Amino acid sequence: MSATGFRTLADQLRSWPDERLSRLLVARPDLATPAPHDSAQLASRAAARSSLLRALDQLTTAELSVLDALVVVGQTSAEGLASVVRAAPASVEAAVSRLLDLALVWEAPGGVRALTAVAEALTQTGGATAVSGLRPVSEDPPPAADVRRRLDELSPAARALLEHVLDSGGEATAGSARHTVLPEDARTPAEELLARRLLVPRSGGVVVVPGEVGIALRGGRTTVDTVDEEPTLATSERAASIVDRAAAGAAFEAVRRVELVLDQWGLAPPSALRAGGLGVRDLRATAVQLHVDEPTAALLIEVAAAAGLLATAADPDGNPAWIPTDAFDQWTTQPVVDRWAALVRAWLESPRLPGLVGSRDPAGKVWNALAPELSGIHQVESRRMALDVLLELPAGEVLATGTGVPSLVSRVAWRRPRRPRTRADQVAWAVEEATALGLAALGGLASYARPLLSGDEASGLAGLAALLPEPVDHVLLQADLTAVAPGPLESQLARRLQLVADVESRGGATVYRFTPGSVRRALDTGWTAAELHEFVAGVSRTPVPQPLTYLVDDTARTFGTIRVGHAEAFLRADDEAALTELLHHPRAGTLGLRRLAPTVLISSTPLDVLLPRLRELGAAPVVEAADGTVHVARPDLVRARTPREHRARAAKVARETAHAAHAVTAIRAGDRAASSRPEVPATVLTPSGSMAALREAAEAGETVLIGYLDNQGTRTERLVDPVRVEGGSLTAYDHRSDDVRSFAVHRITTVLPVTPDP
Amino acid sequence: MNDGPLIVQSDKTLLLEVDHERAADCRKAIAPFAELERSPEHIHTYRLTPLGLWNARAAGHDAEQVIDTLLEYSRYSVPHALLVDVAETMARYGRLRLEKNPVHGLVLVSNDRPVLEEVLRAKKVAGMLGNRIDDDTVAVHASERGNLKQALLKLGWPAEDFAGYVDGEAHAIALAEVDWQLRAYQREAAESFWHGGSGVVVLPCGAGKTLVGAAAMAQAQATTLILVTNTVSARQWKDELVRRTSLTPDEIGEYSGSVKEIRPVTIATYQVLTTRRKGVYPHLELLDARDWGLIVYDEVHLLPAPIFRMTANLQARRRLGLTATLVREDGREGDVFSLIGPKRYDAPWKDIESQGWIAPADCVEVRVTLPSSERLVYATAEPEERYRLASCTHHKIDVVRSLVASHPGQPTLVIGQYIEQLDELAAALDAPVIKGDTPVKERQRLFDAFRSGEIGLLVVSKVANFSIDLPSAEVAIQVSGSFGSRQEEAQRLGRLLRPKSEGKTAHFYTIVSRDTVDAEFAQNRQRFLAEQGYAYRIVDAEDVGA
Repeated sequence: MSATGFRTLADQLRSWPDERLSRLLVARPDLATPAPHDSAQLASRAAARSSLLRALDQLTTAELSVLDALVVVGQTSAEGLASVVRAAPASVEAAVSRLLDLALVWEAPGGVRALTAVAEALTQTGGATAVSGLRPVSEDPPPAADVRRRLDELSPAARALLEHVLDSGGEATAGSARHTVLPEDARTPAEELLARRLLVPRSGGVVVVPGEVGIALRGGRTTVDTVDEEPTLATSERAASIVDRAAAGAAFEAVRRVELVLDQWGLAPPSALRAGGLGVRDLRATAVQLHVDEPTAALLIEVAAAAGLLATAADPDGNPAWIPTDAFDQWTTQPVVDRWAALVRAWLESPRLPGLVGSRDPAGKVWNALAPELSGIHQVESRRMALDVLLELPAGEVLATGTGVPSLVSRVAWRRPRRPRTRADQVAWAVEEATALGLAALGGLASYARPLLSGDEASGLAGLAALLPEPVDHVLLQADLTAVAPGPLESQLARRLQLVADVESRGGATVYRFTPGSVRRALDTGWTAAELHEFVAGVSRTPVPQPLTYLVDDTARTFGTIRVGHAEAFLRADDEAALTELLHHPRAGTLGLRRLAPTVLISSTPLDVLLPRLRELGAAPVVEAADGTVHVARPDLVRARTPREHRARAAKVARETAHAAHAVTAIRAGDRAASSRPEVPATVLTPSGSMAALREAAEAGETVLIGYLDNQGTRTERLVDPVRVEGGSLTAYDHRSDDVRSFAVHRITTVLPVTPDP
Repeated sequence: MNDGPLIVQSDKTLLLEVDHERAADCRKAIAPFAELERSPEHIHTYRLTPLGLWNARAAGHDAEQVIDTLLEYSRYSVPHALLVDVAETMARYGRLRLEKNPVHGLVLVSNDRPVLEEVLRAKKVAGMLGNRIDDDTVAVHASERGNLKQALLKLGWPAEDFAGYVDGEAHAIALAEVDWQLRAYQREAAESFWHGGSGVVVLPCGAGKTLVGAAAMAQAQATTLILVTNTVSARQWKDELVRRTSLTPDEIGEYSGSVKEIRPVTIATYQVLTTRRKGVYPHLELLDARDWGLIVYDEVHLLPAPIFRMTANLQARRRLGLTATLVREDGREGDVFSLIGPKRYDAPWKDIESQGWIAPADCVEVRVTLPSSERLVYATAEPEERYRLASCTHHKIDVVRSLVASHPGQPTLVIGQYIEQLDELAAALDAPVIKGDTPVKERQRLFDAFRSGEIGLLVVSKVANFSIDLPSAEVAIQVSGSFGSRQEEAQRLGRLLRPKSEGKTAHFYTIVSRDTVDAEFAQNRQRFLAEQGYAYRIVDAEDVGA
């Protein structure tokens, strides 16, 4: 520490050796990104509130109390500081040096000084600091002895009041108490205090306890309790070898269980909830399957997911489901130790909170395992702190049953006093989860976990490997059709054995049972009886019992007795020769015919195609109905749907009748026209000529035959009775259409008088 | 890692590697608290059950000992959860005690008041308890001692019974070990029973359970009531007791359908006790006819439900259960535990066999193939008819004939379930048949003739399943049975296991029809014996006699 001090924090930083500066940047990494231009910028960043709060979070109770005292008493010498903190001078010194390293305080010419922003960050609304609850000492404080003397003069009631005010935040409302009284005139305890300046009025009728009074009330220190004593851990003795064995057992089980559940989910993935988690029922089923309670099952699933062994993907039906990843396949091929390491690494880094699973969030919703929101930002650090405390315990000493975990919580709380309120849970979870994963057991860390947590993973894993059961490559076959693997089987072997036999009991050893069903399952996947015999004889260290040999043979005997396949149609005939002929017909190749029995063929061609083709080939097939009776088939006639208008039969009849009548009339008219056709060809009339003829006929009321060019230019002959002729058109009764029509005169080419029928 | 013979599985099974050098020590160490479930050739399976753990507590073992034993012999690390569970389960025993109070008689005492309060509020014990004497003591109706124990067991707070036993009417009984000696395991069984007060001894058929009973009587020195399955068995007990103990025929009474004698030692059949007339059990007073000092239940696995109820009232008397298989097809093993007592002694069959006390047996399953005509009938039969159809196929007769022929001169039993089948067999083999309607006298005559070697072949129905001592039988051929009954299979094999001269091997054949329910039931029937280490060979009918 420099004797003279620096003008500013920037000056101090400038004076630091590189090594110390880099220590600061490591401890407060946020200062280094992006790299500051110079010390001045670094100093200004170090005083930024957000950065300061992060730094404060890293302080222990002792360091925070020293900083707090510095804020209360203001700039002071190291000795002055030591005298007001209730702690050993050495720990105060250590604290100050750390605070300096973190650039939370600096050495001003007059002594150590907290950054102004620190005081703001530590001060709560109202002015008292967060740690000791004291206010900064007044600008020009009276000597400590003076304050003590004034305190001694107080009546018991006034002193009690003062202590109460101090303990409840150092601030109170003055009420009716007069602010300016002499000690002699004080009528109430409050006035006594005000008169002696032990309470100082502030604006708004508020009175506060000045810092120096608080310190004096606490016997010259900022706190009542000693601040540099870490809470003791409640521990008990437990042989390290027992802890190791129990933990190694748990480690092995954890790996095995993760493999088991993921294997299971690879076959039948549980669906992912819409919100992303795992359903309560699936979790429960998994817990039952793993022989563990639900929190442990949740932990294993969460760790598997954190290790990248499990993820959501679409299941075969396209719904989101939790499915093992391809990393899982790789993981299963590794030795147990490496698999465990992968899980533990993931767990140490994981912010997930499986401990919450099953409880309810503030809104009353149950937390599901694997739910995306199920994580906490402080979880990794709290877990690590808890493990670090355990790491400090000597081997052979473990947390005491019952009291151990609460004492661990208070130790962690002492180290990180500014951490969140949920820490008690987080620390307890850390211990539980470490136990479930096999890092710890019976309240102590396993010996192999120590190097692992200290960064020496290789020797930690080697330690665990020595404790784990050796993988075995054989089983013991017994006459009750069980096979016992007296240890963990090699992964590949275990998988093959699981195919041919059912697992009855798991653990360090595995018990398998051969059943007709399990043998058939193996046959289903393509094993032959000979391969099965060879396999069981190969893995068994004991002679293969006769009943097992028999079981395999017997199952193989009936295996595939009934065969199933696809066919579009079948053909059967009593005449084998006919079927043979058909089968070998040169043009039958495309029909997909196959002979099943002498009298049965099947075809891959649908019946409606097959039938005409068979007929083409000269066969005379009949179709059988589903019940085996013969279906007489005739050619399918094409029919359309009956149109709607034809349905009204009466209307149709009426219309047809009318139509016929018309036709008859027309025919009759035509007949008459023909009959009246003169022998001489009709002469073409001029329009005036025809007009005259028509008028004439109209006058006479005679029927005439006219030649007429209609709108289409077709020449027709009409038998008409002219009514009148005017305006260039003829109005006449037309016999053909049985109606009065008008005809353009200029289109009338001929007019012939018609001789009435005789 | 520790090179122990035991593997502790997380599902609470213990696997014991038999060939391990420390296996014998381990077996002794875990026997008090773990139930032997299976004992095939290489790996024996034990299971930790609450009953077994409480049993160990009753015998004076504490959780610490159990855990130490597990840790000591375990090859791999023991799952922590299992250790916790063991400790918790064992701690439940003895929180409640049944005691004799000089003033209030039988009382239930607890030093854990919440447990007592929980129990007092349980519906199951309502009406069994009397007045609350003080905070920790409640009076118990003396008649409800058994029921209360049963109910407390179901509640998971088994009571330790310190109320003791009545001595009963004294009666001098001594073993007459003149030309024979009690075998070591028989002595051990009798002693561990006596030490425990009441309980069940499990020994294979033919291992001399009668003598365990006699030894227990000699320990009790008191009047004894022996409950057996049937009259023939009652007579055998009587003969054996006269021969092996100081008791004279006059001191032993038979209480059965035909004879109703009450003597210092009385042998009664289950049937007569459970006879009901007009809704009452007229022979129930037998239980109170004398001040019995010991009650022996033969073939406890067959104990009918009414006897259970009667036994509930006999909790002040010492009770000895004898059986070859504590497997009950009705799953009432728990009632046996709470009413008669826990298992006090158990020896794997193969162990007794290796000591030479029971004959080694060669078990063979012969599979006959039904001709397709019968298969067709079988396939279309009603489900309830199928077993009868499959097991009664005529093809079995030929197989039986060739099996009998392949064991000339060896006394042979043919055992079946269906009377018509047995009649046919008897006709085909020209052998006498014993079935349910054969008079007792005729049965006795035939059994005697078989024992003496006069008859070499006997066809019997299920009446011969139990307690018929036919020491000379060397071959048994089973053609049909009571569906998948495991204990019947064990009992039938037991007929053969009386030690043979020259250490001959017994032959046990089961003839089943392939691919039918018959074969499925046979699988189930064989499980118990396979788990006891009896390996079945399976051969095809065509290979028999070849």
